Amino acid sequence: MKILIDNKECEAQYGEYILDVAKRNGIYIPTLCHSDALPGQGSCRLCIVEVIEGGKKKVVVSCLYPITGEIEVLTNSEKIIRMRKNIVRLLAARAPKSDYIKKLKQEYGITEEGRFSVDEEEKCVLCGLCVRACEEIGAKAISTVNRGTAKKVSPPFEEPPEDCIGCGACASVCPTGAIKVQEIEGKRVIWNRSFELLKCENCGKYFITKEQFEYIRNKFGIEIKQILCDVCRKKLTAQKLIPLA
Amino acid sequence: MPKKAVMKMYENAKRTVLICCGTGCLANNSMQIYERLKKKVEDYGPYFQIIPVLKTTGCNGLCEKGPIVNILPDEIFYCKVKVEDVDEIFEKTLLKGEVIERLLYLDTATGRRVRSHKESEFFKRQLKIALRNIGQIDPGSIDDYIERGGYKSLKKALFEMTPEEIISEIERSGLRGRGGAGFPTGYKWKQARKINSFPKFIACNGDEGDPGAFMDRSIMEGDPHSIIEGMIIGAYAVGAEKGFVYIRDEYSLAVKNVSRAIKDAYERGFLGRNILGSGFNLDIEVVRGGGAFVCGESTALMASIEGKVGEPRVKYIRSTEKGLWGQPTVLNNVETWANVPVIIEKGADWYSSIGTEKSKGTKVFSLVGKVKNTGLIEVPMGTTLREIIFEIGGGITGGKRFKAVQTGGPSGGCIPEELLDLPVDFDSLDKAGSMMGSGGMIVMDESTCMVEVARYYLKFLSEESCGKCTPCREGIRRMLEILEDICAGRGREGDLELLLELSETVKEASLCGLGKTAPNPVLTTIKYFKDEYLAHIREKRCPAGVCKNLTSYRINPELCRGCGVCAKKCPAGAISGKPKSPYVIDTVKCIVCGACKEACRFNAVEVVGRR
Repeated sequence: MKILIDNKECEAQYGEYILDVAKRNGIYIPTLCHSDALPGQGSCRLCIVEVIEGGKKKVVVSCLYPITGEIEVLTNSEKIIRMRKNIVRLLAARAPKSDYIKKLKQEYGITEEGRFSVDEEEKCVLCGLCVRACEEIGAKAISTVNRGTAKKVSPPFEEPPEDCIGCGACASVCPTGAIKVQEIEGKRVIWNRSFELLKCENCGKYFITKEQFEYIRNKFGIEIKQILCDVCRKKLTAQKLIPLA
Repeated sequence: MPKKAVMKMYENAKRTVLICCGTGCLANNSMQIYERLKKKVEDYGPYFQIIPVLKTTGCNGLCEKGPIVNILPDEIFYCKVKVEDVDEIFEKTLLKGEVIERLLYLDTATGRRVRSHKESEFFKRQLKIALRNIGQIDPGSIDDYIERGGYKSLKKALFEMTPEEIISEIERSGLRGRGGAGFPTGYKWKQARKINSFPKFIACNGDEGDPGAFMDRSIMEGDPHSIIEGMIIGAYAVGAEKGFVYIRDEYSLAVKNVSRAIKDAYERGFLGRNILGSGFNLDIEVVRGGGAFVCGESTALMASIEGKVGEPRVKYIRSTEKGLWGQPTVLNNVETWANVPVIIEKGADWYSSIGTEKSKGTKVFSLVGKVKNTGLIEVPMGTTLREIIFEIGGGITGGKRFKAVQTGGPSGGCIPEELLDLPVDFDSLDKAGSMMGSGGMIVMDESTCMVEVARYYLKFLSEESCGKCTPCREGIRRMLEILEDICAGRGREGDLELLLELSETVKEASLCGLGKTAPNPVLTTIKYFKDEYLAHIREKRCPAGVCKNLTSYRINPELCRGCGVCAKKCPAGAISGKPKSPYVIDTVKCIVCGACKEACRFNAVEVVGRR
């Protein structure tokens, strides 16, 4: 079916999300809690747009609004800009040091905060991507705890998480760099837990925690003869294939 | 005396005594009253021809006047009964049918004592549908419920009606969800029935969390079978075979009574496999909630039932299509379910004859705050706020002036005096910037600071927001920051505009109903009481004398008669003067407690701005 996004005619499938259609058509909508690899959450609300359906206007989040009819979408109406600006302002008061938030602030012309008290140390904007990523990996080692203004991301009881495999997926999806990962001398420290790293048997680089390696082996039930990092694995596979070409 | 003569003497004692054991009355020793009376009856046992029946009931509604003892068939209604009164009640009323005048209800409207509660203004103006049995039956007895016509509607629904007919009856009745949003119940059921995906679920939302509200608790505690019966009918209509009653765990008596009711219903064949031989199966279980306010939101409640963190999800696909475990689910509020059996019994035409054009039936409210008769009431939709507050509620306590009424719980709005003639229904409350909500109604008098009220509710909401989405979590937090500043005397020019702008973002961009309604207390107080905000911000003065930083007291020398009462009451020793000449407050010593203002009979103590 055809929908209109900012007056541009776009082809959409039934049930597709607005954000995906917009992206495909080169229309930019800012996001924060969205990752193409994970199911949508609709928590940061940056991607709000106005939808006109049956003569009625409503504000929805484009990352989760399924297209079921011929709608018109406004991604940058005056109202949306005003509210998105406020959302960025709120995020900036919470996590002013994050580069991503700084970029958004610039984009929306937000000057330094004068009215709100600012959290200088905070980087987490509670988008929830880390928790989602951990769930998808299957470790389920972290979760959001508490509610309201006291909400935060934490392992159970704020102790080094038993279920964590040290894969670092949480830190890699975090848009604001709020999750600390340290790697020194064959050890990775994340969520206050220290993990032993394994070396690539080809290049000798530390690249995976022992726990993650075991986890993958158990999950897929395969015999792994050689521990190889991504780069070496590709290289060696390619070398095997060359004579066949 | 020969035994036979004694027996004859007490043959008039075939009375039923209903002792209110709602939470309010229980807290005032109604269980001890029951025990004492029971012992009395047992002691006299051999002398009775027919032994009087004692029953503990759910909440009568008139919590202000509890514990309540209602004696039938005489219809003698005793209030504020003490354990010491029991012997007299037994000997005079129970044995001889004599009325004890001093225990009768004192009608606030007429100033007269009335014998039966039915004669009082408080009860006379009410129409009880959802609360039909409460106070009349023992909630622990399924027989009591059946005796008053209970489970008759279920039989009618199962054997005389098709599911489609039931849905059409509910649709035609005009019943709308009593949890707050007022979504048409029949339509919801129809949507769920239409979807060809099994299993389907039904659920009852008993996660009542509004401060000062206890409508659903009273129904769950006082008449649990009405909910169960409604749910069975609903499940049959939509084709669900599994149901959940979600009750917050703080409601321990509700959990107990509903669990017991479910057990009894299984035993009588109203639940389980092949219900009453109809071939229809339904299991219902109680799920205890952890007391998060947000879990009253439908999708958060479902997440909680599924064992997940109680956070809402976006509702672009309705729960009737994808609810619990992604399956069609009908979730209705306690009061909505309790209405269902009556509609099936008496018909849609009867039900829709009550109420206004778009809001049918009755609504239960918990009327609390600065009103004489606090308690639980049920009135036809369309009753005006004035009738509720001044006639049923008996007006404002302490001879003070009415200022505002807050409806719809923490995210409702404050309605001022000029709108008191507003008929209470879903749409007119919405239009006034407030909402029906689940039925909380908090009355405020002139001694209330409206900025402080807004601050209080935002504080509640900032703690109860689930924290998932940015506008709600961060927006409420910043609005609260501004309100705290205003109350503390740090308000700035531009604060009101910023509050309004943030309100728009929180209202429109939040994920769930909690955020979407959270700015209401701020918006309505700014709309109707803007002067108070300006007094706080510009004059650094709290007109109601509530915000301590913005209040000081002064004795008006022209009004002061020099009686010295204020000086005696002052806990800080800040008032001095000579009898018969005007007294003076030392503002340095004054702790702004307001005791002098309360004590002065000549209104000589005035509230002025920051010292």
